[in-house]
Amino acid sequence: MECIITVELGTNAVRVFAFDLMGNTLGSTKGSYPTFHSDPDYSEQDPEQIFITMLYVLKNFITEKIQPKKYKVHSICFLASMHSVLAIDANGVPLGNVITWADNRGKKEAQELKNSGIGKKLYDATGTPIHPMSPLVKIAWLKKNDSERFDKTYKFLALKSYIVQQLTGEYVIDYSLASATGMLNIHTLKWEANALDYAGITQEKLPDLSSVFTTPGKLRKEYQNSLGLSSSTRIIIGSSDGCMATLGAGIWSEDKATITIEDSGAVRVVGKQVLRDDQQRFFNYLLTENHYVSGGPTNNGGVIFEWFAKQFGDFEKAFDVEYEMENLIHEASNVSVGSEGLLFLPYLLGERAPLWNPNARGCYFGLNIKHERKHFIRATIEGMLYEIYSIGKILGEHRTISGLSVNGSFATIPFCTQLIADLYDRPVSTIKNSNTCGLGAFLLTATDMGIYANLEEAAKSVVLEETYNPRKQDHNIYMQYFEIFQRLSTKLEDEFEQIAKLQ
Amino acid sequence: MNQFFLHHKQSKELEDFPHILEFAVRKNTSIQLNSLGATTSESIRIYYVLEGKFEWVINDHQHILYPGDLAMILPGKTFQGKKDFLDIGTLFWIQIQLEKTEDNKRMVLGNWSGLSGRESAAIWRVLQLNSAPVLVKLTEALNILQSIQNELHQQQIGYTTRVNHLITELLILIARQSTHQNNLRRDFPQTFMKLEQALRQNLSHQWTVEEMAGMVGLGSTAFTEKVKNYTGFSPLNYLINIRISEAIKLLRKEEENVTSIALETGFYSSQHFSTTFKKLTGYTPGEFRKRNSSKK
Repeated sequence: MECIITVELGTNAVRVFAFDLMGNTLGSTKGSYPTFHSDPDYSEQDPEQIFITMLYVLKNFITEKIQPKKYKVHSICFLASMHSVLAIDANGVPLGNVITWADNRGKKEAQELKNSGIGKKLYDATGTPIHPMSPLVKIAWLKKNDSERFDKTYKFLALKSYIVQQLTGEYVIDYSLASATGMLNIHTLKWEANALDYAGITQEKLPDLSSVFTTPGKLRKEYQNSLGLSSSTRIIIGSSDGCMATLGAGIWSEDKATITIEDSGAVRVVGKQVLRDDQQRFFNYLLTENHYVSGGPTNNGGVIFEWFAKQFGDFEKAFDVEYEMENLIHEASNVSVGSEGLLFLPYLLGERAPLWNPNARGCYFGLNIKHERKHFIRATIEGMLYEIYSIGKILGEHRTISGLSVNGSFATIPFCTQLIADLYDRPVSTIKNSNTCGLGAFLLTATDMGIYANLEEAAKSVVLEETYNPRKQDHNIYMQYFEIFQRLSTKLEDEFEQIAKLQ
Repeated sequence: MNQFFLHHKQSKELEDFPHILEFAVRKNTSIQLNSLGATTSESIRIYYVLEGKFEWVINDHQHILYPGDLAMILPGKTFQGKKDFLDIGTLFWIQIQLEKTEDNKRMVLGNWSGLSGRESAAIWRVLQLNSAPVLVKLTEALNILQSIQNELHQQQIGYTTRVNHLITELLILIARQSTHQNNLRRDFPQTFMKLEQALRQNLSHQWTVEEMAGMVGLGSTAFTEKVKNYTGFSPLNYLINIRISEAIKLLRKEEENVTSIALETGFYSSQHFSTTFKKLTGYTPGEFRKRNSSKK
């Protein structure tokens, strides 16, 4: 029997899943790695630690879970978080740590670029919003502020390219991940000359472009031995986590959207056309050479509720934040819709879509003497989901969305899923296989093997589990609050700026 | 509380306790300039504030202590009054001498403590690595100090054992409290990050699970379960993970020899390093270096 393994190099951990050829999950495992913040704006990870963690986890997984069941690994498909940058020298040795998507060191450069004429052109050409997350901005920052590293750099890689190079010896990046670098022209599928000029590099400094289905090379003999794999096991370069979560959510037709909320969140749609937006509010990333995943990301996903739980939970059980969050959700469900007039702006981490304002800050609004702790709990959750709704609302300017699905640990909490259905006034489905990223990578691989005729067929195989129907009355109440929420978000722009300066 | 001052060279009460250097309550009623200039401690000093407000600089960090607060200054750390004098107020203190291990490498509590070697090492490590020299409102410490005082003054049967037990209890209390104060028992990822930093800074140390658990203020079983849940690895496997990652960086530099890399990153021997490394990567450290280093 054959199986497919997917390896997701995520923000905090590597997650490994195995599927049989029917798409049933055979098992999963994970290994986490830390993020270092030597400066509040810096967000870095150790590439060797990630590589070793992945190897360790994969080795144990294969020997303990796969081989005893007599499965043979047909393919290993990789997917990874977007926007990472790792500089390496001519011998492939990393020059410092990986700079992750959350790194904000280039915020000044991003601001200047965004407001310039070239910024607008680059956004239209590359589909990546001009933001410090973008590798384009990060490389330009390195050129200006860390010229020693910049000068020594043989190539600027994405973390996944580094990991795949370690395993196979080849420097490659798939179109999907490349389309999130801010340097790939998503219309011509070539590196964008204006972007490379801005970053101060030539295309030789970047890995080779390839389709998401590419097998970059054979697994090196040594790793075949240590992992217990045969030389026939294929390595598939794969895609990004965002694109795979969308495919794994079964989203293919233009009237469907999927909402992912883990630590951060996003609302995404798929289509053959990019979403053109004069205000540069959406990303347009390539899923394949002729399909785009478009949408808006928020910084303030589940991480905000976790923050709340850490501050205001009881913690009778040491360190058990999951247990606290469960209790808090339970308490929130006993408060009436709209939290009796308490509103929360969730911008604790600044905000990307739809405000694109790194200086936005959090705020409780409308407090009166009768509000209790439980109102804060519900208001916090409602505020986070108003934000998710506001992204969907601007997507609605471009697409008519008739159905929604949710994935990610926060969005799939039943209380939250129902709230999303009520806000959007649309039915919202959950997906049977909650691991949509891994499932997406499986579908990609299975399509490549010919199990599905194409990705559209593959997407159709995704089984929806449960549907939450909107409650009209609640929708109407939420909309009254949402209007105030939206006005506050824009009205406070000057005050956000001022308070951020003092922090 | 009445003042008293016991000193190991002068006081009969301390004859049987060579490890207790000083034990005292002092009421300071006037300010004397330069009464508390910078010193580097050679022993463990524990101060408990009974009255007044004390402004101290411990290991280059400023602290303000109020009644109920306890400060612990470890050997090698600097200590002084913020304005080089002792503030007005009343202090209770004890100074404890440590011993060196046979190989002279480490400081340890003596046999008097009754702690097992493992626990003694774990407590000592927790005290060294926790960055909070001041513990707020630790009134249990006063009870212990007063019990020590009573035992020393009354000298009833069994008092030497009791005094040593009480000092041990005080150290355990401080170790636990400092991890609890450092880690609010709310944020495991953040707490784990601090532990990871401590591990990386002391990678050559032969860490035990007890020591690691002590650092975050959990028991070994709960700690192992938490780490497994959070990282996917057992604590010791997570440590091996960091060791190999650091070793890879050193191997790529081609400066150090493999044996010293092995020891620096906490493997028992180059043999142990090679087997572990090969099992995981398929390469021996030498082969890996040949293939991947900066200077080919």
